[in-house]
Parts: sequence; structure tokens; C-alpha cells
Amino acid sequence: MPGIPSDSSSLIPFALEGSSQPPPVYPLQHGLRAPIHRIHISWSRGNLLNVTCLRPPPDQQEEMAREDDGIGGKAIEVLLGGAILEGNIGEHKRRRIAYESVKSYAFLHDKKISLAKMETGDNLSAPALTYWWQYTLEYSKSIRDILGNARLHRPLIEDPKNFLKPEEVEQPIGTKAAWELMEIFYVDMQLLSWLPERLVDWLEGYDSLLSKTETVHSKLAILQRKVTSMRVVEDEPGYWNGLAAALAVGWLDVVAKLLRLHGSYDPDQFDKRETENGLVEAVVLLVSEMPRMRPNLPNGKLGLCYQTKHDYIKGLEKWRVKVSGLESSPFWVHCNHRPTRDGLINLLHILLGDAKHIADATSHWLELFISHLLYIRPLTNGLEGMGNLAEKCMNLKPSANNGLTSLLAGILSENPEIVLADCLKAFGPWIVAHAVDLLTANSEYTDGLLNEERYQLGGASIGELYMLVYAQALASHPLTWQVAPAYLSTCLNQGRGLLEILLLRQPVQNYRVVLKTLEICHLYELGNISTHIMKMAGMYQWKHGHKGLGIYWFQQSRDKTRLSQIAHKLFDNIGKSLSDDSFKQWEGLMELLGSDVGIAGGLEFLHKYREFKRSLQQIVNGGTVEAAKKSTELLVQLMRNPSTPQRFWLPLLLDSVKLLEWRSGPLLGVSETNLLLGKLQELSMAKLRPDFHGGELKPNALGDVRLALAKNLGRAILEES
Amino acid sequence: MADSGDRRRFIYNLHEQSKPVGAVRWLPSVSPFLRLAAMSVLSPPAIEIHSFSSQSPNPNPDLNLVSSYPLPSSATSLTSFKSHNYTLIAASTSTGSLHIFSVNPYDGKIESQIISISDKDSFHCGPIQSIDVETSSTGECATAGEDGRVNLVLIGEDKVENFRVCESDGLVAYSAVKWGSPVEFVTGGVGPGLQWWDKRRPGGPVAQFKGVWGRGTVTGMIHSIDIHPSRKHTCVVGGSSGAVYAWDLRWQQQAITLAGTGLEAKSQPFSESEVWEVKYDAFTPQVSSTKVLPVMMCSEDGFLAVLQQDERPVQLLEEPCAINSFDIDPQNPSDVIVALEWESVGILSRGREETEMA
Repeated sequence: MPGIPSDSSSLIPFALEGSSQPPPVYPLQHGLRAPIHRIHISWSRGNLLNVTCLRPPPDQQEEMAREDDGIGGKAIEVLLGGAILEGNIGEHKRRRIAYESVKSYAFLHDKKISLAKMETGDNLSAPALTYWWQYTLEYSKSIRDILGNARLHRPLIEDPKNFLKPEEVEQPIGTKAAWELMEIFYVDMQLLSWLPERLVDWLEGYDSLLSKTETVHSKLAILQRKVTSMRVVEDEPGYWNGLAAALAVGWLDVVAKLLRLHGSYDPDQFDKRETENGLVEAVVLLVSEMPRMRPNLPNGKLGLCYQTKHDYIKGLEKWRVKVSGLESSPFWVHCNHRPTRDGLINLLHILLGDAKHIADATSHWLELFISHLLYIRPLTNGLEGMGNLAEKCMNLKPSANNGLTSLLAGILSENPEIVLADCLKAFGPWIVAHAVDLLTANSEYTDGLLNEERYQLGGASIGELYMLVYAQALASHPLTWQVAPAYLSTCLNQGRGLLEILLLRQPVQNYRVVLKTLEICHLYELGNISTHIMKMAGMYQWKHGHKGLGIYWFQQSRDKTRLSQIAHKLFDNIGKSLSDDSFKQWEGLMELLGSDVGIAGGLEFLHKYREFKRSLQQIVNGGTVEAAKKSTELLVQLMRNPSTPQRFWLPLLLDSVKLLEWRSGPLLGVSETNLLLGKLQELSMAKLRPDFHGGELKPNALGDVRLALAKNLGRAILEES
Repeated sequence: MADSGDRRRFIYNLHEQSKPVGAVRWLPSVSPFLRLAAMSVLSPPAIEIHSFSSQSPNPNPDLNLVSSYPLPSSATSLTSFKSHNYTLIAASTSTGSLHIFSVNPYDGKIESQIISISDKDSFHCGPIQSIDVETSSTGECATAGEDGRVNLVLIGEDKVENFRVCESDGLVAYSAVKWGSPVEFVTGGVGPGLQWWDKRRPGGPVAQFKGVWGRGTVTGMIHSIDIHPSRKHTCVVGGSSGAVYAWDLRWQQQAITLAGTGLEAKSQPFSESEVWEVKYDAFTPQVSSTKVLPVMMCSEDGFLAVLQQDERPVQLLEEPCAINSFDIDPQNPSDVIVALEWESVGILSRGREETEMA
């Protein structure tokens, strides 16, 4: 809407009243000098907003017109909202994810449709649902692969001092972390019983994303940098802190590696440190034998796996007896190195699940939560218990929440709407559009909640709404818009309409792009849209002088109106001049318009007219009697034919003068001359009508023709009698 | 329906490009270890020369960007050729300019610009849709544009000459051009099908084929033409509605349909979308000497396939996105490079390392 802008040239999103946060302001660096006269805002493709700033026209303020520097402006891009965490993903990576994920998405939806067809009803029934989560799991795994495979380049010779995973291989991306978190809770039913251990694994992969400074990972990263320059590690408090932190979140392999850096392992020592070394090794042993409630462990990870709860509890009890036995062992007295003694005992306390030591060792509430799950309540199951625990941890360690932590909190509070809203805010529309299927995989309640048609949303469901949001984001980019139809087509309520708008907004300048758009129309059976697009393309090409392409598109779209308009225009031009160039031109146009007489109006006439004109030209250049007779025949045919437009009567009659004045006798008989006279009479009558189209003929043209005809009639009567 | 090719014998690698790729062409290679390919890219528009090592132990050799030649606007056509021991690349743009430059055949570095023409009046006004260089004797470059002009550009020793063969004032939009012999070439476009031109007989095409394409029910444009050096009287054409056909100058009235419903309704359609490029495939053995030689095609719906007359098509690739362009290495016809819509380039090696893959 055009309007008078405020002084500051910026875009302020509309905010609902009562919203606690002030609306964000996005300044537009448009490069125009003030004052700005008008602002025009319109939607472009997808969710792109075109903002046009116009300066006052020069005639209003003339002194400004003299200054050239004010003319211009520039195209700028302002990202509204957008993903907070995902700043580190490049634009091309984002596009890559969009390209790759559409395959998995389409595959899952085809499956859903075919399953629904197998079942008689529209909704999936119970037996289909039991398989359904497996399909969803496959889908989830394929999406996870798209988000990046941790390709670990393991060095051939491992440096014992490198205890952290080489971080530079691939920085974990938040979207992937969020995706995995949702997969853990919503899809994978098999692994539900070892949920705590899965969360331990998850944290190991994504701890660095929780916060930049206050995590176990950041602590260890600092230690890793320092450790190479440390001479006596066990004297450093950082070493013991790092150890306690790593142990608290269950990174047992890191703990074991770190402990083996302990100075007591050094072969050349002056002091007697055997006891000390024995104690360190005993802790290493206990750590590596820690019972874990999970089916298996990846290579290099430590612990003893237990499949069933019963075995696990038995193993845990035995192991705890060992740990407390070591804690109360008399050997500690013989350990002369005080930091070692204190550090090791601290580790044993963590292993025994001492809440205070665990709280000291961890930094973030999520880490505290994980270590509670590991050491204090390893059998926690069910979201409610976890939710309570998480709340407790948050109170104990208030830390700044980011997208991931609020996602986890949302999941634990069992509110799928909050989960999706948090995801959208933190990671953008891609993940939400794809995660709806994860959330609904195993829960009929969620399925109902997200796929229920809502009146307030114009008949769309929440799931569809998120899909539309993502499709709009895709449609805004010229490279990804072709992916958007796959998503729009799954939106039953509003997808079709948006798809039509999207296709109609594609540029028509390049015919290859038009063909690509038409291909999509064909795929989704949008015949009327493709007709529209072809008409638009035709108009564009026609206007730009590409008559061939223009007519081609009009013919493809069966646009009879425009084709006959073109034919009429052609007639006008033919009536005006008959130079060689234009003759060639309209000859070519005629060829293009083809023989579809029905479509293009009087094209039959045009062909005959051309023939007549050609033969007439031969006569003018000096032709035989036969040629003159032939062109007379053509003239009479043209005049008799009802499809000959009236506007051509006069030019034809004028042309006939040349034949009428043929020196060697009359070419037209009495009846033919009468026919021409009749036409002339009709024309004189028509001249009085206001809609007469006379062209730029000489005023006495009609008189000339009449005279010639009368002369000829006389000669013809004499001849025939 | 198509037979899907025996994929076990293929090695297919995808290379993500992080920018849209228009056309791809192999460059003549000097060393068997280092292969070079040229591709036209967008944002910003340029021709990029990439190298990769074909003999490396790494089964997935990376494409390395060697050099880049900036263009004023997006490339519409790309071709590579050898002339007097120079490796040359010619490219046309959507604003009607033609660029020819030479590339070092050993490392792929751009050596010098030879031609850069852009003139709205005497050359092209609007996109040049297709170019082709006559390499056997004259070295003339034919350009065909959407503006209805066909020009010939003569690359002389010290000067560049161009003269107009045809000016249709926009009545015809040309989309493809291909040399048949040093004096003859074929153009294709929108409107009246194919035109055969002879430089010795100026004034207009010497032969025309006006195939009524699908009786006006489907879009019919010609996108690509190829002529085999040993059969100069036949050209294969790829266009809309999955149509691939061969037109023989000796039997001008009737074309031989290789694929698509465009010309004859009886044949089973293989792909119904745009056929963006066709090329004779020297790798696939010829069945009969009386038939049209095997032809490779790529399409908007993601197929790369080899077509033969009266045979079922052999499908080489089925991609989820459009294949916009491909090229068969003339020196090594088993290798095909393809440009995919989704910002990537694929390299397909056929028939090699059979035992290793099995």
C-alpha cells in the first residue's frame, strides 16, 4: 500500500498488543537521500517482501532534479527473524539440506498414502501404526545423514595427550542436535528403555552447543590446549577439575585417558610413587567397569553393558561395593601427593552419586541433569520423572537457556506445540516442517493435535501451517523454489492455492525457465495455470519483438482472443504499406499463425490477398494477358468471399483500377463489374457510419474507382453484346 | 519403460558445487592423469575450469577449481574445441555476447582472451541460445539467438569478422545450431522446425523440416542438435515432450522418432519432459549400420539415457532433479559429465573396473 513513511526508514513488524517484548526494528539501508516520497510494499515470491522507496518526482522540486547524486538506490536483503542458533550454516549448506531432504520427505509421504490406501479408511489403523514408526525411523535416520555425517579422520598414531575428539573435523550443527533429540524421544521405540544412556551419548556429541563458555566441553578444551605444556599435570587444579567434569557427564574414555597422563605412570621417577600409581590405576579400572544400562557401546567407549534391569541392578550393587571399598581403603594414607588424593576421592564420590560433588563438577543444568541420570537415578523412566528432575536441576544451576535446552524442556513437559514453536524460533522452518512426522509417529494424541483442521487457521492444521511456512521460505529463493511444490502438494487445505500463486509468480523472460515451470504444472495437473503462464510468456515475448516466440506461446495456450488481435493488427499493417520489407514481415507472420483459419479469423483471406498482391505486382512490372486475367479472377474471388474484411474493400477496389485500365480490352465482365459496384455502394453507405475505418486514402479515391468501374462497365457491355 | 542400465559396471560420483551449474564440457586433456572440465556457473556468472585426477587411488576424486573466466551475464551455451594445439572455450551469454578464450591444456589456467563480441546492432540483441564451432577447417563459430538472428564469426589471425546469415526480425527464435560440414549447418528453434543452411547458397535455408509437433497439444521446441561426422546428412534433435528424433536430408519429409510422443503417437514415451541435450554416444556399440547411431540424452525429469532406433532405451541415471547438460569425453567416450539442477556435477564412468566393483 502506498503511504507516507515516517522519518526513520525502517521496517517495523506488526506486534500484537500485550506482547511483552518490544517489536524488533530492521533498518533499511536503501541508499536513497531523504526525503522519500512514497514507499510501495508488495509481496514477491514466497515470503520475500519488495519494498520500493521512491523519491519525489523532479518536477515538484526542481532544484533536486539538477543533482544527479540523489538518483539511484540499491537492492538490499533484510532477514526478518530467522534461526538464532544456525548462523554457522552457510547459505549453500542450507540449500543442500533442502534439496536432499525433499527425497526422504516425499518417500515417507508416498508410503503414508500407499498404506492409507491399503487400509480402507483414511486414517492409519492400529496394525499399520505398529510398522509406521519403523518407516519414520528410517526417515529420521536419512535426514540425520543429510545434516552431516561425523567423518572422523582418526590419526594413525594417536597422541596420548589428545584426549578430546578432534573438534575441527566438523562443528556439530544445532539443527542436527535438535533432530536427534526429537528422534530419541519420539521415534525410536526400541531404545526407549535406555533413554538415560541415549541422552548421555547425545550430550557427548553436542555439549559444545549448550553454551560458549560454561560447559564441560569448554573446560576440557582449555585443558587440552594447556596439557601439552604442563610438566606435572597432577599439580594443576585444572586437571582435576576437568577429570571430575568429564566423569560427571560420563565421558569415561576421556577420564581414563586423562588419568593415564598422571605423573605416577612416568617410568623415571625419584620418589616412590607405586602406591599412588596403584590408586590411580584402581580408579581407572573402576571407571572402565562402570555398569551401563544399554545394549552395546561404540568402539573405544568404556563400561560394562547390561541388557536387563535385573542384571543391571545386580551389577551396579557389586560395582558400588567395590567403589566404596576403594574409598575407605587404608592405602590413601600412603599417598603423599595431596592433590592426587583429593582429586581421586572426588572422582569416587561422583561415581557413588554424591549430589554435592556432582553439582560442583558440572557447569550447565543439562549436564547436571545428565549426571543425575547416570549416577543417582539411572532407572528414571517416563517423561514426567525426567521433567521433575530437569526442573530441579534448572533450579540448582540456573543457566541461560538456548534453543536446545528449551527444546528439551519442551519435550519433557510433553507439549508438542511448544516443541515445534521452540524449534521454529531457534532453528528455522526447515526442521519444524520435517519434525511434524517425528512427533506424530507414535502418538495418536499428538497426531490428532497437529493434524486436526482448525477453523482459526482457515481450515489448516498446525502441521500444515508449519509446512506452508517452510514452503514459503523455499519459494523465496530462485534456486530452491522448485522444491517447494513437493511440500505444498501435501498441504490439503491451502497448499494448492499457494502452489498456484507460486507458479504464476515465476519469471517468464527466459523460455527455459518457463518450460521448467510448465513441467511442474504438468506434474501436479494444473492445466489452467500452465495456460496462464503460457499467455504471460506470450505477452512478454510479443512485447519484446520476439513475435515468433510470442505467437508460439499464444498458440500453445490456445489464446484465440490474442491471436485474432494479432491477425487484426496484421491486417492494419498490410492495409497501410506494401513495401518489400513489410511484405516479407507479414508473410512470415502469416506462416507463424499457420493455417488455423478458425483460430485466427480471416487468415484464409490473407493467403488469397497475398496471392493477389503478388500477381498484381507481376502485372505492374509488365505482365501478359493471362497473368492479368488470373489476378482479375483472384480479385473477384476475394470480393465474393464473405470472410474478406470490409476494411480491405477499398484498397482492393483501388488495386482493381490497374486492372480496369488494362489497355487491351476489359478484363472484368458485366456481372463482375456489377459486383464491384455493389461493394463500392455498400462502402459509400458505410462511410457515413461513425465506426468506419477508412484509412489514409485520398479524398477522391472513391470517385476514381467509381469512374474506372463505370468505364469498364461500358466496355464490358459493348464486348459482351 | 526403460531398462535400467547395469549399474554395477558404473562408477558415479557427485560433486556438490554450492552454486548453480548450467552447462558442462570436457576439455581435451594432454595428460592421462589430470582431466579438465569447463562449466558455466551463476552467481556470479562465469566459466570455471575444474580439474580432477582420474588415476588417483581415492575412489572419489574431488573436482578442484583451477581458474575462472567472468562473464557479463549468465552463460547460455558452452563449447570447447582444439585449434592449432590450443584448447579453446567458447561461451555465449543471455545478453547477446560471445566470448572465446584459450586454456592451458596442462593445468587448466586461462591463457588469453581471443574474442569478446557484444553489439546489439551488428551481432545479437537478446540471448544467444546456441553456438557451435566448425573445427575441421574454417574455425567459424555459428551463433543462433532468440532474436531470430544467425551469425557466423570468423576467427582470423589478427581480426575477427562476423556476418549475418539470417535476420528474421523476431519471427523465428533460434535455440540450437550445429555444423554439419565446413559449409553447412543446421538450426532449430521455435516455430518452423529445422533449417539446413549452406554458406554457398545464401539467402535462406536450403532445406526445412516442419514437423507438426504433437498436433499442437504439447509444447514443441528444439533444444539441442547433434550431427555425427561420419553421417553428415543426418541430424538428431532433442526437444520438448521427451522428443528425440533423427532427420535425414535424403528423406526430408519423414523423421525417425527415437523417443517421445512428439511426432508419432505409437511409440511409448520414455520421458515426457524437456530433452535438454542430445549427443551421439560413441561408447555404445552400434546395432545395425542402417539404423541411426546410438544417441545419449538428458532430460528435465532427471534421466540420462542412451537411445537406439527400435530398441528400448538404456537408462544410465535417474536423478531426483533435472539434468541440464551433459558431455561425453571425445577422447574417452566411456566418461560422461552431467550438470544437475541442484547445484552439483556428476561424473559417470562406464564399463571400467568391472571386476573391482562386482
